[in-house]
Amino acid sequence: MPENRKKLISLLIGHISIAVIHEILIGSTENKEIADHYKKEMENAINLSKKYRVKTNPKNSSFRNKDSKYIKSQIINRVKLECNVKSKGYRKLFFSSISP
Amino acid sequence: MEIISKISKGTKMDQVYIPKIRNGMPAGSYVVIRPLNLELKKQAPILYNIKELEPVKIGLIEQIFSVIDSKTETENIIITGSFLEKGFNFNDIDVIIIAETQSRGIEKEIKEKTKIETHVIFFDNQLFIKALKTDPIYRLMLSKCISRKRLTPLPEKKLNYRYLDAQLIKSKSLILSFDYIDGKEKYKLTRNLMAIHLFVKNKTLSIDNIEKGIKKQLGIGIEDLKNNLTDNNFLRKYKTFYNGLEGEIIKNAGKQEKAD
Repeated sequence: MPENRKKLISLLIGHISIAVIHEILIGSTENKEIADHYKKEMENAINLSKKYRVKTNPKNSSFRNKDSKYIKSQIINRVKLECNVKSKGYRKLFFSSISP
Repeated sequence: MEIISKISKGTKMDQVYIPKIRNGMPAGSYVVIRPLNLELKKQAPILYNIKELEPVKIGLIEQIFSVIDSKTETENIIITGSFLEKGFNFNDIDVIIIAETQSRGIEKEIKEKTKIETHVIFFDNQLFIKALKTDPIYRLMLSKCISRKRLTPLPEKKLNYRYLDAQLIKSKSLILSFDYIDGKEKYKLTRNLMAIHLFVKNKTLSIDNIEKGIKKQLGIGIEDLKNNLTDNNFLRKYKTFYNGLEGEIIKNAGKQEKAD
């Protein structure tokens, strides 16, 4: 993997992870309906991920199997890691929603 | 007896149709036709913490109010965001509509009339009060806004640390892609971080206080931040500040969970 592509994939993984963590955290609060109203701000991480997705791989074609497996496992690891940090403070997190 | 009716177009003459079954005004009697003024008495928009606004923007706001009025019945309409800053360096217009029912197609219709991208958020009254209690961003929005009707005083805030933790994570994007995002994006993410900090510390939320906070805590001027004149020293301070606030929020979220 060329250096630049490697960096872009790492950014892609980072931003998708943030979007996933945000969804998990919001989903575990009683204020989901409030957060849902301000989607514009929340979509920031998703939009950044899309930007890096297009830069790393052509828009209309899938990642190679090897790449997609790597990206998926990295996202799951990051989200789990972040949720573990959070769960030291509070426990009620929906870990089941991290991975099917 | 009064009947309200519409003038319809005819081939040789236009006409006004009235129902056959009516109390009075028999056929052959003479009546007066005069235009009905459907325009409601206009109330000037109410400005909050806005020293001056370009007249063309006031015109646009009135146009937006009238589009919304034609589509739905509202309790209030609030205009907020970068549109209210001096000049024309805004991306879109943020509109909050307080109404019991949501109406579709308003964004599209405003865009068609004004040719400006609009972001509409619908709330019913109760949910809006809940949002103002728990979310610093909504409180911040009302610190500088224009509303159709007078706003009621802000409700007392309620700290929900889990919710704040979720909103804080958005600001982590800056750490992650410091070298890849522009100044505008950095400003937004830093503003979110500082708004949560001020909310937790029980400080008044306003753009002024946020910008003072950014300067004091992160040692950077707002113009430098917006123009992406940031260095590793700023990033280091940002990381430390973010981690400190995150730690405090997680700790308090745990305490809050135990208390519940």
